[in-house]
Amino acid sequence: MLDEDLALVQTVDFFTPIVDDPYLFGQIAAANALSDLYAMGARPLTAMNIVAFPCSLGLEVLESILLGGQEKIHEAGAVIIGGHTIEDEEPKYGLAATGLVKPSEMTTITGATTGDYLVLTKPVGTGILATALKGDFITENEMGEAIESMCALNREAARVFSEHGINACTDITGFALVGHLYEMIRAGGIAAEIWAAEVPLFDNALKMANMGLVPEGKKRIEDYVPEAQVKAGEIEAAVMDCLYDPQTSGGLLASVPAGNVDDVVRDLRDGPCPRAAVIGTITGEEPGSLRILAAKRE
Amino acid sequence: MEIEIDARGLECPKPVVMTKEALENASGAFTVLVDNETARDNVTRFARSSGCEVGVKENESGFLISIAPGPASEADTVQLSSCTPGTGTVLFISKDEIGGGDRELGSTLMKMFLYAYAEREEPPAAVALMNAGVRLVTEDEEAVAHIRRLQEQGAEVLVCGTCLDYYGLTEKLKVGRVSNMYELQTTLVGAGRLVSL
Repeated sequence: MLDEDLALVQTVDFFTPIVDDPYLFGQIAAANALSDLYAMGARPLTAMNIVAFPCSLGLEVLESILLGGQEKIHEAGAVIIGGHTIEDEEPKYGLAATGLVKPSEMTTITGATTGDYLVLTKPVGTGILATALKGDFITENEMGEAIESMCALNREAARVFSEHGINACTDITGFALVGHLYEMIRAGGIAAEIWAAEVPLFDNALKMANMGLVPEGKKRIEDYVPEAQVKAGEIEAAVMDCLYDPQTSGGLLASVPAGNVDDVVRDLRDGPCPRAAVIGTITGEEPGSLRILAAKRE
Repeated sequence: MEIEIDARGLECPKPVVMTKEALENASGAFTVLVDNETARDNVTRFARSSGCEVGVKENESGFLISIAPGPASEADTVQLSSCTPGTGTVLFISKDEIGGGDRELGSTLMKMFLYAYAEREEPPAAVALMNAGVRLVTEDEEAVAHIRRLQEQGAEVLVCGTCLDYYGLTEKLKVGRVSNMYELQTTLVGAGRLVSL
């Protein structure tokens, strides 16, 4: 905290390519790294590039990655103030980023209240689709919707949330929807239920899951979220795979007071997030309980 | 000699990609060896969705998955290269009785048919159940037992989720897994041979 009205928030994130196009990879990695700042309600200020790159790949590939990243950073209104590059067998790219936030307006993963609704701003399924792409089961064109979504900043979604007021927020990344929600309910000492049928999924995600293209990370999330805590009804396996699918540059998950939820969803859908959805609610059940229902209760 | 693919220590999607390649080139059954549950589940699902008959054995070196291409894919391996789902025999059941005569006779015939199919020990690649057919995997204990045998022999049992919901049987599902219209449609349309009841 700098003073009573201003705090600095910092975040770092980098990973290996999940699409073949280096420029798009740069955009996705940068949007993903900045996402954490938006989840906290912060405004990105500065960013530093983190790069690992093999000499065997041409420099023009590196240039494309950095260009993609740079454009996203500028779109976010931040500036690049440096970075560091090392030689490595597999390329990696990401950012260390700093943002500013008013402490009174900062959103964290705690604060969700019984009766809140859970709003998710982007569909899920990027991990499954990236696995399918790696195995040549789909083309980048066929996962176009997901690539576009991964490239998109969470800035406008965060703006809608701050305009209407929310109680808690997190960004959906490597811990998947279920893992990040579980963190939220554990940290907040609350319980939640989600409705599988309401969770937006990317095109082809179910199909690829049914063909056995589920990434390794899913198992780790299942281990992290004990089954005893997750009460799932009869839900088809491929849908569960999507709920447990580690995301890259996923959307924001916000806990929204019931009175604001209609306005929030309308502004998201009409604006930056056409597939935003109410996917569940904070319940009064035993704290730490996460119930996954096939569909919303009538 | 039977081909064995060693996919131990490989990250997804490698084991699935190797299975796909083997399936495109194989003239008969082959096995895939993997060493973790994710790979086991993925390879099994991929092979089933390609219409193969699949068996899994666990041993000290990992999971040994035996894969036998379905009848249609043996005859026409070219089809497989485009990864067509469901090229084996598919048993489609949309009622809880056979025919439309006497109800009790129809119901008995259905159970006899399922029993006889399980006795053959040549399971279909998939059993798809819709409409009143879902009673056979929920309320009808005898039918459940026969269908469970087919599943144990390697058949994938796909149950229409909408139908379970409609009849209020979702909680009572005893065998098979809940499926959606997309998958059911793909399975039925892609079937090498469709047996419809």
